[in-house]
Amino acid sequence: MKTPFSIGLVFAGLLILAIYLGSHQMRDFDPALKWYAVASVLGAFAVGYRFTVWAQRPPSRMYFKRGLELAWRYPWLLVKSGGQKMTAQTFIKERSYYRWIMHLCLSGGCTLTFVVTFPLVFGWIHFDVGNTAEIYQVKAFGAVVREFSVHSLEAKLMFNILNIAALFVLVGLLMAGWRRLTNAGVRAVQNFTEDIMPLLIIFAVTATGFMLTVSYSFLKGHGHGLLVWVHLFTVVVLIFYIPFGKLFHMFQRLCSVCVSLYKQAGEEGPQSGCVVCHDVFASQMHVDDLKNVLDQLGFNYRFATPKGEVHYQDICPKCRHRLLAVNQGKTLGR
Amino acid sequence: MAFLNLTEDEYIERYGPTPAYMSERDLEGEPDKLVKTHCCFCGVQCGIQLKVKENKIVGFEPWEEFPVNEGKLCPKGVKRYLQNGHPDRLTTPLMRSEDGFREAGWDEALSKTVSEIQRVQATYGRDAVAFLGGASMTNEKSYINGKFARVALGTRNIDYNGRLCMASAGAANKLAFGIDRSANPWKDIPKAKVLILAGTNIAECFPILTDYIWRARDNGAKIIVIDPRITPIARTADLFLPVRPGRDSALAHGILHMMIEWGWIDEDFIAAHTNDFDAVRELVKDYTPAHTEQITGVPAASIEQAAELWGTAETSMLLHARGIEHHTKGVENVLSYINLVLATGRIGKPGSGYGTLTGQGNGQGGREHGQRCNQLPGGRDINNPEHREHIANFWGIDETKLPREGLTACEIIDDIEMGEIKALISISFNPLVSIPDSARTRKALEKLEHFTAIDFFLSETAQYADVVLAGSLQEEDEGTVTTGEGRCVRLRPVVRPPAEARVDWHIIADLAQRLGAGRHFAHETAADIFEELTAVSAGGPVDYSGMSYERIENEMGIFWPCPAPNHPGTPRLFAGGRFAHPDGRAKFHAFPYRPPAEEVDAEYPIFFTSGRVVSQYLSGTQTRRIGMLVDQYPEPLCEIHPHLAERLGIADSDRVRVSTRRGQIEVPAQIVKTIRPDTVFIPYHWPGKKAANQITNRALDPISKIPEFKVCACKVEKAS
Amino acid sequence: MVAPIDQSELPLDNLEFFIDPSRCIGCQACVAACGECDTHRGIPMIHLDYVDRSTSVQTAPVVCMHCENPTCAMVCPADAIKQDDNGVVLSAAHSRCIGCSNCTLACPFGVPKQQIEMQLMMKCDLCYDRSSVGKKPMCAAVCPSQALHYGSRTKVEAHRGEVPCNKFQFGDQTVKTKVNMMTAHGLDTIPFDVADFMPQGNLAAFGRERIGSPDAAEDTVWEDLPA
Repeated sequence: MKTPFSIGLVFAGLLILAIYLGSHQMRDFDPALKWYAVASVLGAFAVGYRFTVWAQRPPSRMYFKRGLELAWRYPWLLVKSGGQKMTAQTFIKERSYYRWIMHLCLSGGCTLTFVVTFPLVFGWIHFDVGNTAEIYQVKAFGAVVREFSVHSLEAKLMFNILNIAALFVLVGLLMAGWRRLTNAGVRAVQNFTEDIMPLLIIFAVTATGFMLTVSYSFLKGHGHGLLVWVHLFTVVVLIFYIPFGKLFHMFQRLCSVCVSLYKQAGEEGPQSGCVVCHDVFASQMHVDDLKNVLDQLGFNYRFATPKGEVHYQDICPKCRHRLLAVNQGKTLGR
Repeated sequence: MAFLNLTEDEYIERYGPTPAYMSERDLEGEPDKLVKTHCCFCGVQCGIQLKVKENKIVGFEPWEEFPVNEGKLCPKGVKRYLQNGHPDRLTTPLMRSEDGFREAGWDEALSKTVSEIQRVQATYGRDAVAFLGGASMTNEKSYINGKFARVALGTRNIDYNGRLCMASAGAANKLAFGIDRSANPWKDIPKAKVLILAGTNIAECFPILTDYIWRARDNGAKIIVIDPRITPIARTADLFLPVRPGRDSALAHGILHMMIEWGWIDEDFIAAHTNDFDAVRELVKDYTPAHTEQITGVPAASIEQAAELWGTAETSMLLHARGIEHHTKGVENVLSYINLVLATGRIGKPGSGYGTLTGQGNGQGGREHGQRCNQLPGGRDINNPEHREHIANFWGIDETKLPREGLTACEIIDDIEMGEIKALISISFNPLVSIPDSARTRKALEKLEHFTAIDFFLSETAQYADVVLAGSLQEEDEGTVTTGEGRCVRLRPVVRPPAEARVDWHIIADLAQRLGAGRHFAHETAADIFEELTAVSAGGPVDYSGMSYERIENEMGIFWPCPAPNHPGTPRLFAGGRFAHPDGRAKFHAFPYRPPAEEVDAEYPIFFTSGRVVSQYLSGTQTRRIGMLVDQYPEPLCEIHPHLAERLGIADSDRVRVSTRRGQIEVPAQIVKTIRPDTVFIPYHWPGKKAANQITNRALDPISKIPEFKVCACKVEKAS
Repeated sequence: MVAPIDQSELPLDNLEFFIDPSRCIGCQACVAACGECDTHRGIPMIHLDYVDRSTSVQTAPVVCMHCENPTCAMVCPADAIKQDDNGVVLSAAHSRCIGCSNCTLACPFGVPKQQIEMQLMMKCDLCYDRSSVGKKPMCAAVCPSQALHYGSRTKVEAHRGEVPCNKFQFGDQTVKTKVNMMTAHGLDTIPFDVADFMPQGNLAAFGRERIGSPDAAEDTVWEDLPA
């Protein structure tokens, strides 16, 4: 557990450094958002810690190790796979269109929010008044990257970007909630902490965020002071839930990019034929790597036979079914 | 003259078979109701609950409380719900047109049928119209079909497709026991210590009974399987007798020979409860193990082992099916096996007895209520003056108007071919697929002056029809069926027929009305028909008079005879060794073995046999339309032993041509060691060029008139 | 949807899964019914293969054995395979599974199925929607041959000719499972033999040892081949 702790510290340390440098030695840092920044730093530690614990497990380590090796061989695949799996998430479309749209709403909305809020919190981006009060400037790392009129459509979009993101998230949440309430199969398997809580947390963040808008746009700031703290609280909960709950899958998905590279390399390399039926059933690399992983996990599926050692990994799944029936039948003489 | 006016592909394109799969949309939300009913397929009639949503069946749920199958099902039962809401479903009447069929209104279609029937009968006589029914239909429909043919059509030519299934067993049961029903309920099977399974591929044709067989084996039972193929139940059998096709009666004689020799027969029982054993004793003297081995191909040692197991058993049951019945000596085969039961006296007791396994959904009930050419309701004999009088009086017609015995199903097809019968009404019967020598069946159909078919899908036979009337699926009507063990069970209405389709017996009643016999068919509900059929059965050999829908539902089925409302029904027959012949005794029959109608010779040196696969049912009209069942076994394969295959230069999956004196079929070879090397096997569920019945032999048993599906001579070649 | 089941009558812990491949008749009722289960509708999870159709009609039905220490879960790089409190090993969590096939290749029973396009492993979860409320899994509810049975251990022990066993010996690896497999009296572990299969992958090798039953691989059954 030493490594995960240190890696967590490194993540947190790097974030602090990035905030310090990115905000012009804190000059651009908005003190009103300081608690968000603190939570983010702690979150960075937790993500680093959790990620390392996970990535160190033999099977995950195997894929990351192979992924790093293979990334240089298939740079284009790396980009393509990253796009498909992390952004377009087309594999969810294959599971169902409903879920694909639902997930795109959720992940898209959340990502958009993060892209806006974290740089704001970290002081990397801030808004400034330009030459006239009618002109707004967007400053990133101190440099002006954009100017626009307060009356422009762009300004409206810019000021409401979080609300727009929240709308997407709400649609996703509604769809997810409906599915979790009505689909018999899903209802049977879901559990509260893993499947319901993340929806509730995201809902709480979204709802309180919306209420902030409602409060200063329509209610002349009524209740704004309290809402700020409530919203802060929900965000902190979300940040701390990420590394330890279902939402951690956004980081784990990284591994699926490694899997794409691994499969490509496997297909191009030597294949493993089943020692019983001789059919090819996997890449030799995969079979060999799995033998190592199994050894590291303390499993030993090796048979000592008069004809030499046989590893069960060298027998294809279909022949394992047949061996199961044959060996059981043998004990009964049928 | 009804020739097909579309190509095979065009018919398939328009009317299927289209394999149906479950639809995702049906899964959304909760079903409206669950209906307890029964499977529409084989004679086990498993209990099943169907999930209904908006008049569509969207799935099933096991019905574990129903005692026969306790929720268990075979794949056909699981997927049967997909026949509902099927794209091929006939939803309006069809009338023949220049390019196949056109949709028609009921009035037009029924008028056409009626006018054609009246024309044919006026020109050629009443018997020139034949009626062919089906044994998958309820007791109510079977009763109505028989009454319709005799009262409304006034033809003697009514028969049903049970002729291809249960006829040999039924006839033999009547001859031996004086009653046509399985002697024991299936719940006796687990109590038997020895089981003979003769010519019954239980695992594929009655899968649920496998459970009973294993329960018996858990109680220490030994099982003896007689079959030319190693079927799944034979694979683990204690003793397997690989009989050469067509030699079944010789094998039974050989076993009885050794039982007599070793003194393992019950002389007391024979003397007290049976007749004619001496002739049998004399007959089987010749069937020494060596001689029997020579005839049957079963090793002499195995025959002795079978005699020892069966002879010394404490309790026993003998079950058989089409394997011994589908022969020109089907009745003789069955009687020879019944001899084995009677000689031990092990019948009429818990765990001891006999049964024949019904292949069709209502194979039992379908033959009891007057749908057969020689039978009137209540299992009455159409040639018996008292029986005729009883029925005529009940129906309110003159006895002289009641037609006499007519032709059986295959004979009707023959007579159509010969030009004697000119018009046909058929319901739920697909003879083009199910009767041997399909080229002749096709020729016959082409000769019909008028053909009306009532069905829910356009079967291959119905393609020849002039009028097709859209009838009902099992789940669209209600009624009762009587299972292979003699248990009358209740089918509940599940959904309504779609669009313009109508419940079968409504169609029949409408036809009757138009033929001027409406007053005999004034039933409002299926229950009215049931009431009539139970009342008319009172006092007959097959007595249902104590049954009502309510009782059947409450008691999960009632075994006939049930002659009074307070009678519990009769699960086990022949208690105390009392049989149904007038003298109360059972009768032995001494039929010497005789060869099948067609023997192998130099030109056709290989035995051909046919049968079923687990995923298909009969002519496949329903099961060839259900996706998963099609995928499970998509097309017929020819099972060939590697020895034979090697001699013929055939490799696995090669296309082979199997020819007989009647025709040929080309299918892929399946090289397996699970069949006799002198025999090949092709299942029969497919039409056209894939029909095994292109090559089977239509030779009939002289008593039961069942065709010889199970053996003929063929040659096998690699197709180029 | 269906009549509520009185759970007090069907305590979950008393119902167990018992599988006896030697009783299987290969009818595929289980496969058909498996696809009707709500947690994976339309996609059957159970495996059913002929052992070797050319020599025998023997079939091999395989459901998830629900290992106590599941190899599939251990080799999963994404922590996608979870066990519930009763030891049921669930199908891969949709959000986590990355479709790498580790589980498919490592499972000693060959159970997990890959849905390549969906990037998802799916496997038998004992019909979680049914078994978690005291109903039988679909396959065991319909199996007509007793190859798949879900019920009380007491009854199975009282009625069956075989005994339930939940330990399997794969070479040096012992695997303990939640699902029981019927075997001979006196065995507390089902031994796996692979040696006979090695040279040419001929599954007929065991045929000769099936006692008293017709062994198709044994040609003497058919020695009366006509000239």
